[in-house]
Amino acid sequence: MNKMKKYRIIARIHVQNAFVYRANVISGLLFYTLFIFVFFNLWRAIYEGGSVSGYTHGQVVWYLIITELVVFGCRTRIVTQINEDVKTGAIAYLLNRPVHYIAYQAAAAAGQIAANLFFFGLLAAALGFLFVGPIPDFQWAGVPCMLLSGALGVALQFASMTAIGLTAFRLEDNSAVYLIFHKLVFMLGVFLPVEFLPGWLQGIAKALPFSYVAWGPAKLFVGFSWSLFLQIVPMQMLWLSVMTGLSLLMYRSGMRNLQMNGG
Amino acid sequence: MSSEAIMAENLTKRYRTRVKAEGLGAGVKALFQPMYREVDAVKGISFTVQKGEMLAFIGPNGAGKSTTIKMLTGILHPTGGSMKVLAYDPVQNRRELCAHIGTVFGQRSQLWLHLPPVDSFAMLGAIYGIDDTERRRRVDVLAQRFGLGEFLHTPVRKLSLGQRIRCEIAASFLYEPDILFLDEPTIGLDVVVKQAIRELILEWNREKGVTVFLTSHDPGDVEHICRRAMVIDHGVVVLDQPVKTLKESCLNRKVITVKFFEPRILPAMDGVQMECSEAQAVLTVDTKRRPIGEVMTAVTNAGGVADITVNDPPMEEIITEIFSAREAGT
Repeated sequence: MNKMKKYRIIARIHVQNAFVYRANVISGLLFYTLFIFVFFNLWRAIYEGGSVSGYTHGQVVWYLIITELVVFGCRTRIVTQINEDVKTGAIAYLLNRPVHYIAYQAAAAAGQIAANLFFFGLLAAALGFLFVGPIPDFQWAGVPCMLLSGALGVALQFASMTAIGLTAFRLEDNSAVYLIFHKLVFMLGVFLPVEFLPGWLQGIAKALPFSYVAWGPAKLFVGFSWSLFLQIVPMQMLWLSVMTGLSLLMYRSGMRNLQMNGG
Repeated sequence: MSSEAIMAENLTKRYRTRVKAEGLGAGVKALFQPMYREVDAVKGISFTVQKGEMLAFIGPNGAGKSTTIKMLTGILHPTGGSMKVLAYDPVQNRRELCAHIGTVFGQRSQLWLHLPPVDSFAMLGAIYGIDDTERRRRVDVLAQRFGLGEFLHTPVRKLSLGQRIRCEIAASFLYEPDILFLDEPTIGLDVVVKQAIRELILEWNREKGVTVFLTSHDPGDVEHICRRAMVIDHGVVVLDQPVKTLKESCLNRKVITVKFFEPRILPAMDGVQMECSEAQAVLTVDTKRRPIGEVMTAVTNAGGVADITVNDPPMEEIITEIFSAREAGT
């Protein structure tokens, strides 16, 4: 229990810290609103003619609100932080504490993400109701499953960011890896539902981790069914395990090879 | 129970660094055929430190001091040899060990820069498993002892260097470690803060019996804090003796720099080496032969003093002297 207490307090202090930078919170909320407003209008123009790939206009706007909520909610400094820690050697100084580096980062990010989801969640709900009203045919019985999928999406994004950050042990500049991941998550789920992609690409997207960050949870929110749940959540769990395992392997190998000059 | 706090035997550390040759062609070649160079930072050192001992681990830049500290604290894995710190193997039992050791690296902050010290202390309290009531009691004691009250709630990144280092040391005392590893703890600090920090460390040693393992380029730290000095150079321990002995042979000099309003002639004094240029004089005083007070009196009696500073000779100079003395002795 004591072990968990330390990580709980780390998370709590990072929640408190998230409330300190008001300008960051406000600019993020404004940016989110602007983003949703632009796409609401874009989708309205596209949807003049009815539904697209099974999504109504209301569903697609709510879909976007939820995918962006996952993206904005996951906004932490994790990649930059791990990069800095590895490049400057500061990672070694964190080892001087009876705490696991990855678990520490996870607790800190959890605090930050909880604060983000609180702010952006309220705004997301308000914008959704304002623009298109409640989610059409919302399945209340599926709420626990939707929340589970949302949590898995956030965890998958965190584990992937951790793995990308840890590539700093091997790569001088890992920004390209981050950009590729970020763009793939955006194109294969955040911006467009996977169902909008050509058939052959849908198959590839559903086999890769990128869509399970945002498409999975958002799809369950706007069109819940048990078969969809059984299709999405096991894949989220699989990719979360892969990314977590990869992060731990990279961490262990990086720490073994850690070389720091004196001074 | 063992009286040894630290034991190192034949400890070695070899780094492998990538070598990049000059020019575009060499850069392209390195893509396919990278070249590496091996550096022996620590070459088989052996020593023991007793519990409660205050040891200065000194040497020139690149001698292997920080590498040794990082191995003893489990940050770096040694290439060879064995070590025990408080009966723990730092490689195998790093997390258990770090609950019993404190580290202060003067050149790097270990506090969370965006958080006020009070939050860092809360986080450390949780990490080290100190209950909230006890942690608050200890923070109160440390805040009083280290004079942290006024900036306990200011984010660390907004503190001055002296305030930050005080917080760093207070943070490392929070969980009452048995050994304190101090790597350049007073670097960049002014004389008053340096002295305050030295006194705090001494006090903690007297009261709690903490073992101190210190590296510093400041002879004042060695002289005021430690009782034993170990000199390392090129990864090898070249001297291990009481600070008292070192003081008699090498730490017995002070450098006085005097600026006058107009050129002055100072009287020649036995045990004082003088370099005068225009309105400035640099006096190197052998304090064994001539008390510093007498020299100061002679300087002020000359009149027209615009500025005066008293310093220890640089550590590099002292180490050079140690090497010269050793060579002369062999």
